[in-house]
Amino acid sequence: MKIFVCIKRVPDTSEAEVKIDATGKDVDSSKFSFDINDADNYAVEEAILIKEAKGGKVKIVSLGDQESDLMIRMALAKGGDSAIRVEDPRINVKDPLKVAKVLAAAIKQEEFDLVLTGCMASDDGQMAVGVALAEELGVPHAAMVKKVEVEEGKVRAYRELEGGLSEVVEITLPAVLTIQTGINEPRYAPIRGVRAAQKKELKVLTLDDLKLDEKEVNEESSLVELEKLFVPEVVSRAEIIEGEPEEKAEILANKLLKGGIL
Amino acid sequence: MNTELQSFIQKYDLLGCVQCGRCTGGCPVTVRTNLNVRRIVYDSINESMLEDLAKLPEIWDCTTCNTCAVRCPKGLKPVEVLIGLRNIMVESGIIQPTVRDALESVFREGNPWNKPKARRSDWMEGLEVKIAEPGKKVENLIFVCCTIAYDPKVQVIAKNLVKVLNKAGVDYGFIGDDEVCCGSEVYAMGELGEEGLFEMLVEDNTELFNSYEAERIVAISPHCYSVFKNQYPDLKAEVIHYTQLLKELLADNKLELKKELSQKIVFHDPCYLGKQNNIFDEPRYILSQIPGVELVEFDRSRERSLCCEGGGGKMWVESESRKERLAEIRVKDADELGATLLAVACPFCVLTFDDAIKAKGLEEKMRVAEITEILGEAVE
Amino acid sequence: MGDVFVLAEHRRGEMREITFEMLTKAQEIASAIGGETVAVLIGSSVDTFAERLAAYCDKVLYIDDPLFADYNSDKYQIVLGKLIQDYKPELLMVGHTTQGVDMAPALAVELNLPFVTDVVDIIIDNGKLKPVRQYYSGKVNALFNFKGEPPYLITVREASFEAADGSKQGQIQKIDFPLKEDLDYRRFVEYVEAEVGDVDITQSEILVAVGRGLKEEKNLSIAEELAKAINADLCGSRAATDAGWLPHDRQVGTSGKTVKPKLYIALGISGAFQHLAGIKGAKTIVAINKDPEAPIFNEADYGIVDDLFKVVPKLTEKIKELKG
Repeated sequence: MKIFVCIKRVPDTSEAEVKIDATGKDVDSSKFSFDINDADNYAVEEAILIKEAKGGKVKIVSLGDQESDLMIRMALAKGGDSAIRVEDPRINVKDPLKVAKVLAAAIKQEEFDLVLTGCMASDDGQMAVGVALAEELGVPHAAMVKKVEVEEGKVRAYRELEGGLSEVVEITLPAVLTIQTGINEPRYAPIRGVRAAQKKELKVLTLDDLKLDEKEVNEESSLVELEKLFVPEVVSRAEIIEGEPEEKAEILANKLLKGGIL
Repeated sequence: MNTELQSFIQKYDLLGCVQCGRCTGGCPVTVRTNLNVRRIVYDSINESMLEDLAKLPEIWDCTTCNTCAVRCPKGLKPVEVLIGLRNIMVESGIIQPTVRDALESVFREGNPWNKPKARRSDWMEGLEVKIAEPGKKVENLIFVCCTIAYDPKVQVIAKNLVKVLNKAGVDYGFIGDDEVCCGSEVYAMGELGEEGLFEMLVEDNTELFNSYEAERIVAISPHCYSVFKNQYPDLKAEVIHYTQLLKELLADNKLELKKELSQKIVFHDPCYLGKQNNIFDEPRYILSQIPGVELVEFDRSRERSLCCEGGGGKMWVESESRKERLAEIRVKDADELGATLLAVACPFCVLTFDDAIKAKGLEEKMRVAEITEILGEAVE
Repeated sequence: MGDVFVLAEHRRGEMREITFEMLTKAQEIASAIGGETVAVLIGSSVDTFAERLAAYCDKVLYIDDPLFADYNSDKYQIVLGKLIQDYKPELLMVGHTTQGVDMAPALAVELNLPFVTDVVDIIIDNGKLKPVRQYYSGKVNALFNFKGEPPYLITVREASFEAADGSKQGQIQKIDFPLKEDLDYRRFVEYVEAEVGDVDITQSEILVAVGRGLKEEKNLSIAEELAKAINADLCGSRAATDAGWLPHDRQVGTSGKTVKPKLYIALGISGAFQHLAGIKGAKTIVAINKDPEAPIFNEADYGIVDDLFKVVPKLTEKIKELKG
């Protein structure tokens, strides 16, 4: 099996204050910590588990700057064999369809049986790259996969649906699966292994290397454009519900049930 | 593999063990978990068992308090055997997710709490804190500790130290956002050995510290202090614990304690300060200088101090045991002594005892406070 | 031109609420831009759905064939691709659901459609449609413009729009479709229900968490009742598992589990740093605690400062009432 895994370096903004910068179209990321996207980390583990069970090679692919190398090395240390990082300022990395096009170009350079991506990036929450990538590659796909069974020439993918239900689909290989968190328990990459992974191949490619025309993937080429970012009206501290105990309970019950939370 | 396993026996001098059992006899956690140190040292001699041994959950019950090493008549270090077994799991990559996340966080962000490196000195906001500059002379280079820097509950330790140092007019400097985990807990969780995370931290921190023209490195947490003192061979500056600095300031009359504090205080010796580094008197001296304080002693004090179970990676690994926590036993003892204030000199002790006081419903009768906090009140 | 299409979502004999949410919004958009609302229903013998949908739109385009007995993204993509080319709607709305996200991005690539995902609002500005989506788990909103020509494709987040009651009498039109046989590259096999047995709180969608404030094990029933009413799993702080009220694998925090539920209701938990680290992935946090200074209120979305023993039973009662 030749498996590609697409990973992305994302900021952890879960407890950080997110401030919009002067351009109005981006945020100030100077106080964030960064790490491999959570779902992508599960995708890496799943690829390595498949490799361990069935043999083959795992290739890591990422679109990003040099800062992504640390995360790529960690994936290599866990059992990845080689990696490609695409870096080119001309790519509109905020458009998931452009990202998919670039990833497809990188993957298409070689033969592949399976491509795994995380099902969602925690920063933009698009849930679009993996499925768009399958279309670009012209292969079948299954999104939000919580369990994979690899068989001869095909996979059984258990897609996690709403409310604890799973849908089992059988798709032929080569294919793209977008991996849901919780599918496995990602292993630890001992730092000794991360250092040793320096010896594994990590190719840095540009659009020219991928033979992609910039007009296909630059900001101009995107069919949607960001007009502005704005901060939604949220209170950083809890909205404290006032009243007598019974009133409070009633207000909360209403918020939970009618506010779409439950 | 075979040579590696043989070196395990040699590394820890396992054949030197006479199986006297003093390690297990003194081990504080044997009263509440399945950990039997003597047994594990014995079983470790069987090379083929090492990997199975490493998988035993009780390997992670050890708090690395060091009592076993202190008690060993042969001068062995059973605690290191346990850490060595943890290392086998770490190297395999199959470890508890909580340990994995803590270690990865140290590697990426320089702290085990998954907090951004860029926010390490957020606690300084609104305070007059002196930051040291590489290449410039500074008498006391202060090392904060990851837990103190990020956990709002113990940030007060650093804040109060700043207050006290400013009052005393000491020449000091903090490192700021460049400060990186000392590696003490990383070592305890078994991420060690050649090219491992611990080694990386030692190398990087040594280079960082040596870039300052510091006379002394002053660690606030005993865990940082101990590791700098004992496992950083190439530091140019002397390493001291902040209680040593404060004792000096008090003895030299640079610090005046005016405010009376009518409290009955019992001091708990942190393992990494007391039984591991023989700093027993400085904390007591400091407390005794506070007007109005009545100082009492635990029955188990100094070398015999009962571990609070805060170290050895225990912030990230929970024992299966339901039995009373050692910290709970400790606060009950403090209560029996009639203490109103349980004084500690370690951030982990603050966290474990604070929990224990609530668990035992003793909030009305006593509180836990770090020495810096108590001094912070006394210098007002 | 100017029509707003909505893909009706259904599974195992049930229409999904997102369909009506989208149709309600679609009517507003269609009337603003002078078009019709069209529901696209793909299924096998789902006439009753067609009738229900008709109350929400001007037209139901209904494809009825055993080939569509179960959802299959690739089949849907083929059908929708043809429909878009034939009807050229202004906008196609698809749920940002496990069905929608499995299909829409591929459709967008195939037809080169202007595409915005996970839309939480649509602003109509001078006849132009401007979708709003969120970044960084909802901390920032982004207003988008479509640059290319319609049809536009969006996936819509559940519960972003409120479904009104349907009062229209749309026409139901059965239509032909381009697919004549099953696809060999993707085959639906079966549905699998979640395994019952051990609860894995890291996977729970709704959690009720208890802390020291619960005081005694016998009070656990208060939390259990609430959990039962909202189909939640129980978990707790270290204090709760320490006390033996819950097994250790239900502990949340740095030495326990990291959870990411849609809803986390913390009862009597003050919120130590080590506990809060385990719930930062939770979407909505509700805290009930009598200490107004408890750090949990800094992380929570909704807070009640009160005695949990007074509030929680009432809350359970009200939820049961509202759920009918």
